[in-house]
Amino acid sequence: MNGQLTGTGALLRHAIRLDRWKLLPWLVIIGVFPLASFAAYGSLFSSQLEAVALQLSLGANPAFSLLFGPATDLTTAIGFVTWRVQMFGMFFAALMAIFTVTRHTRAAEDTGQAELLDSGVVGQHARLASAVVLAWLASALVGLLVGGSLAAGGAPPASAFALGAVLGGMGFAFAGIAAVTAQLGSAARAANTLAAAVLSACYLLRGLGDTLDDGEWLLWTNPMGWAEAIRPATEDDFRPLLLLVGTGLVSAALAAWLSTRRDFGLGIIPGRAGPPRGKLGIWSLTTRLNRGPFWTWGVTFAALGSIYGLVTTTMSSVFADNPFVKQMLAARATSEEQLTFAFVEVLLLVLAIIGGVCGIQLALRFYAEEEERRAEWVLSGALSRLGHFAPTVTVALLAPGVGMVIGSLALAATANASGSPVDARDIILQGLAELPALWLATAVAIAAVGLAPQLRAVAWLLLVYWLLLTMFGPILKAPDWMLATSPFHVVPNIMEANPDFAPLWWTAVIAVVLVVSGLLGYRRRDLVWT
Amino acid sequence: MTAAVSISGLVKTFGAFRALDGLDLEVSEGEVHGFLGPNGAGKSTTLRILLGLLRANSGTVRLLGGDPWRDLVPLHRRIAYVPGDVSLWPGLTGGEAIDLLGRLRGGLDGKRRNRLLETFELDPTKRGQAYSKGNRQKVAIVAALSSNAELLILDEPTAGLDPLMEATFREEIRRERAQGRSVLLSSHILAEVEALSDRISIIRKGKVVETGSLDQMRGHARTNIAATLGDSSTQLTHLPGVEDLIIEGNRVRFSVDGGGLAAAMSVLASHGVTALTVSPPSLEDLFLRHYGERLAPETDDGGASP
Repeated sequence: MNGQLTGTGALLRHAIRLDRWKLLPWLVIIGVFPLASFAAYGSLFSSQLEAVALQLSLGANPAFSLLFGPATDLTTAIGFVTWRVQMFGMFFAALMAIFTVTRHTRAAEDTGQAELLDSGVVGQHARLASAVVLAWLASALVGLLVGGSLAAGGAPPASAFALGAVLGGMGFAFAGIAAVTAQLGSAARAANTLAAAVLSACYLLRGLGDTLDDGEWLLWTNPMGWAEAIRPATEDDFRPLLLLVGTGLVSAALAAWLSTRRDFGLGIIPGRAGPPRGKLGIWSLTTRLNRGPFWTWGVTFAALGSIYGLVTTTMSSVFADNPFVKQMLAARATSEEQLTFAFVEVLLLVLAIIGGVCGIQLALRFYAEEEERRAEWVLSGALSRLGHFAPTVTVALLAPGVGMVIGSLALAATANASGSPVDARDIILQGLAELPALWLATAVAIAAVGLAPQLRAVAWLLLVYWLLLTMFGPILKAPDWMLATSPFHVVPNIMEANPDFAPLWWTAVIAVVLVVSGLLGYRRRDLVWT
Repeated sequence: MTAAVSISGLVKTFGAFRALDGLDLEVSEGEVHGFLGPNGAGKSTTLRILLGLLRANSGTVRLLGGDPWRDLVPLHRRIAYVPGDVSLWPGLTGGEAIDLLGRLRGGLDGKRRNRLLETFELDPTKRGQAYSKGNRQKVAIVAALSSNAELLILDEPTAGLDPLMEATFREEIRRERAQGRSVLLSSHILAEVEALSDRISIIRKGKVVETGSLDQMRGHARTNIAATLGDSSTQLTHLPGVEDLIIEGNRVRFSVDGGGLAAAMSVLASHGVTALTVSPPSLEDLFLRHYGERLAPETDDGGASP
């Protein structure tokens, strides 16, 4: 390794400077979520018995173990937090590490920044090393943040840091795995996809290991299984952490060896060639560019809908006697059907908010085309501004609508299959009633892109405001006029005797006005270029 | 002769910054017009107004007889554009991008497309992210040149091309010109403009400061003279039109305008000139005359154009 790592320190400092704002949101989300769950534990269960009841009903349904991992002990707050955050947290920590490593290796090569850095006094492996070390530092920070904050919040330190080790260890291992895929993939996107595929395979193996009889050995085949085997709150066994750290170290060394066997800017697996001719127009281009998001969102809606349908019956019966949850869901619900439906309504609301996220994301991708200067080239063709924007507007409105329908259908189907007292037709109708609200969220983004793209963050802020207001406004006794500013709040309950549909029309009218002004605005404004 | 492009008194501001400050530009039909200036002078802004991407604050702009903002769609069937910094879609192949642009423009010549791919040695089956900067540029060049456009608008088209490909590009532009197409070629590469252009406009701080053919520009520019004389002479200092005079013993160097050339030559002759070099003003001299000693843009000029 003579001199091959020269300059790693300088590159690492450079990478930290570049990344501090990119990493901060990841650290905050992974760091704060466990603590928030920990703090909420007391208000979720009014008695130990309730927790045991939930644990038993979760244990009875293998789907829960498959998706969220086993609920080993819900009678303590730290055990509950472990169940709540371990899957989500492991995914997050691993993705954080993957993106960080790829950003400073393959992505930097794709943009040409790496060439500039490599021309300095740096060793052959310095850039790779600095990227991996940065991801390791971030992962260690995740572990310490989670462990430290939970311990400070009153959790047993050993258990708190065991959970930190689960999340940080995953990040550590996947930093190394991403370093390998960065050598394999033909470009940054391919490298990220490969690493994410490894992560998904681990999730699947671990899920099977948790659910199949005699399947426990499957847990020992992959990093996610090892991380789970630390079992915070019950066993606090730190030995599997060594396996995770070892994976990170060995794969990083493998990556360094692989990097000497490939050319700069090219992966070991060559990029797939494509068709030499194309028949794309502006509509088919828009569909093609959004093909990835279509699939991702479609699967997300179908999966979430099915999971929600599955949990409806279980959850609503568990929480039926909890005054806090009952107040949050439905103070007026009397029958079991009404209570379950109130629970369904909240789940549909979550789906609708996710629909809003989908719509906003699709609308803002249009602006990214402008920022990355492809819009300028496309508009040099015989294409009016309206003709350019119309396909995106259509897609951004249609896709989340279709997603919401898929989600509602899946929810209705699985809820019915698992014996929910609620009529499937009511669930679907309630889902459809959410459509104007998610269209309004999308319309705000469309208007921003068309009129004043520098204000596009307003679409996100407004959605967050609506989410907080609709979810927590009623509990915090926000005044009615304030609640009515959220299109998600004014959605009527289909189960009521005389549901008031007027707010839906109002919401739709405002959405139409915003979409039209966005289209007209785009026709009038200068193209932005950077 | 009708004009392919006719701009007068064009003003474009971005906030307080005046990117174009009363710009006039005339591109005749069938000519290659060099649009010369450093980064930030307003070249790209002008081209983007011509393409209807930006709206002018004031002034008149005519493109192939139409209004580039109002008549955008019919006009764009007749033009082709190569952006200064081509960015491709990561998932689309170069060939797909070329055909997309052709289709948006209303069709392209398949035969010419194939010939250009071969001449520029471009692989159309690679995905956007796999191309180098030079190859991305080639994708846009092939897309533009395989169209049947009457006017080509090229914004620093050879950035990133290697010298061999630059020569190929020049060859292709000459071919386009021979077919009667008009070309508006924006560039800061003097040699490229000098080699290709029938007429040249030099832009500085949002204004065209000089326009004409290279010969016309030379006509009212200064000629550089270096001579070795039989004896030392100071008489030259008193001659009208002589500047930048340097006398080192028997050797003199100076520049002189068209009017003073005859008088200067007779003085040289009377001093027994033994060696004489006369060089016509190069484009660089013309350019430097408007830009002083620096080619770099002033800092407050930046930001309008990458």
